[in-house]
Amino acid sequence: MTKAMSVIGAFIVVAVVSAGHSVADEGPISGAVKAIDASGKTLTLQTTAKGKTRDVTIILKPESKIVKFTRPTEPGKTGFVAQPLALSDVKPGWIVSVTTRHEGGNEVAEIVTVVLEKPQ
Amino acid sequence: MRAKLFTSLAIGVLGLLVGLWLVRPPATRANGDKHDEKGGHAHVPAPLEYADVHVPLSVWTDAAMIARGKEIYTTRCAVCHGDQGDGKGPAGVALPFKPPDFRAKDGVAEMRDNYWFWRVSEGGQIEPFKGKGSAMPPWKGELSVDDRWAVMAYQHTFSEHHGPHVPWEHPGSVAMGRDIFAMACVPCHGVAGKGDGSVGPMLAPRRAPQPRDFTSAEFKFRSTPSGQLPTTADLFRTLTEGVRSSGGPLTIGLRGQRIMPSFRHMPVGQRLEVLEYVKSLNRGFRELGVVKTVTVPAPPTLTPERLTRGKQLYADAECMACHGERGRGDGPSAPTLKDNRDLPIAATDLTRPERFKNGARPEDVYRTLVTGLAGTPMPSYADSLELDQTWDLAYYVLSLSRGGQTAETGSR
Repeated sequence: MTKAMSVIGAFIVVAVVSAGHSVADEGPISGAVKAIDASGKTLTLQTTAKGKTRDVTIILKPESKIVKFTRPTEPGKTGFVAQPLALSDVKPGWIVSVTTRHEGGNEVAEIVTVVLEKPQ
Repeated sequence: MRAKLFTSLAIGVLGLLVGLWLVRPPATRANGDKHDEKGGHAHVPAPLEYADVHVPLSVWTDAAMIARGKEIYTTRCAVCHGDQGDGKGPAGVALPFKPPDFRAKDGVAEMRDNYWFWRVSEGGQIEPFKGKGSAMPPWKGELSVDDRWAVMAYQHTFSEHHGPHVPWEHPGSVAMGRDIFAMACVPCHGVAGKGDGSVGPMLAPRRAPQPRDFTSAEFKFRSTPSGQLPTTADLFRTLTEGVRSSGGPLTIGLRGQRIMPSFRHMPVGQRLEVLEYVKSLNRGFRELGVVKTVTVPAPPTLTPERLTRGKQLYADAECMACHGERGRGDGPSAPTLKDNRDLPIAATDLTRPERFKNGARPEDVYRTLVTGLAGTPMPSYADSLELDQTWDLAYYVLSLSRGGQTAETGSR
């Protein structure tokens, strides 16, 4: 009996860990920048999914990066180069994509990628 | 015994857990949606307001347009869609709704020109793309129509298809509509849409109306000027409302009912798909250029004076020659009327507005007077009546069901 219970317990643990891993597998958030709080180091995005629009506030930590891609200025070079930006450079209305991680119930930015610099 | 029971239970629970793990939903994205990792396009038809925007055939192969498109694409699109059109631009790879791979021949061939134009114009700000978290901006405010065509022509080169992006080059783009057509339309309109289905002659033997020949240039019910093809919205209206008429053997007991059924219960997307197939039967739809429609102003107030003037116009415009003095379709010329297939055609009984094939609201009658009914003896009065006169006549026509009296106007 004990053996059987152990087997059940082990599989429940595996299932919970698996489910937790699945939930933690977050993807990027994209949307229009609604507000920037440079002092509070937060970025509020208006994002839509499943037909519903919602605001998501993302915390930027010192290790968070903000980049936009531009064409290289050197002659003969092709492709894009990543240009780092400060949070204060970001403007409302811009369309960005943010890879995040969950931390204490908050969304913490890893990389904020500027998709389009667009005035609101 | 108990140990055996628990072992069985353990195996059962194990099976359940494995099953749940196997059918678990894909990881939820932060936008809260599940995404197709291969890239973002959905098989939806362009909505009516974009359905007639077909790229002129010459644009697809015009070197100057392609070069112009490349310039625009390189500066505005490549950051997400990639310089090679592979959807792997540096900003695109981070998006929850991945940009499509324009090199995918099958994927490109399935979509129509008006779909691409719709997407470039509205970006991801329309459903179903908005709900999927598309970050694509709308370009209609920043790029002219020509610029959007140019960027589409350049984008099209990634698929290595040389030639116009049209249904006769890409039959798959109208495959859904073709299937619906086969099920719902072939019995009357025929396999090739020439109006020669097996059921058609039974509806009205040896006389008009016969099912429409979609390959011809003549469509009765239009909002476009005389001699032009209808808009997709015109076709959509006919498909949705059906066509009322007195019929033949198959419609005995159905006089005044629809000789062509209403497809209003067919989902809008399917109606749009079948119309895209119908349009593919006539290359003229792809050569329309800018589609001009007849403007129907807001109906003025109906007054007795307007009816008096309308009555006079009814006589002056010789409406009574076909429709008769009282509008019963029994004018002196009525027995001799023929359509463009040389089939006898009845003059419409104007005292029965519920049978008007092109609608019986004042604005419908106005539109019919302005556009005429192509392929029938009913001419366009666009050049012979002033705007206000057209309303006078439209109201008088509608009053014939009431003996020419002022009363409430007809309704569809």
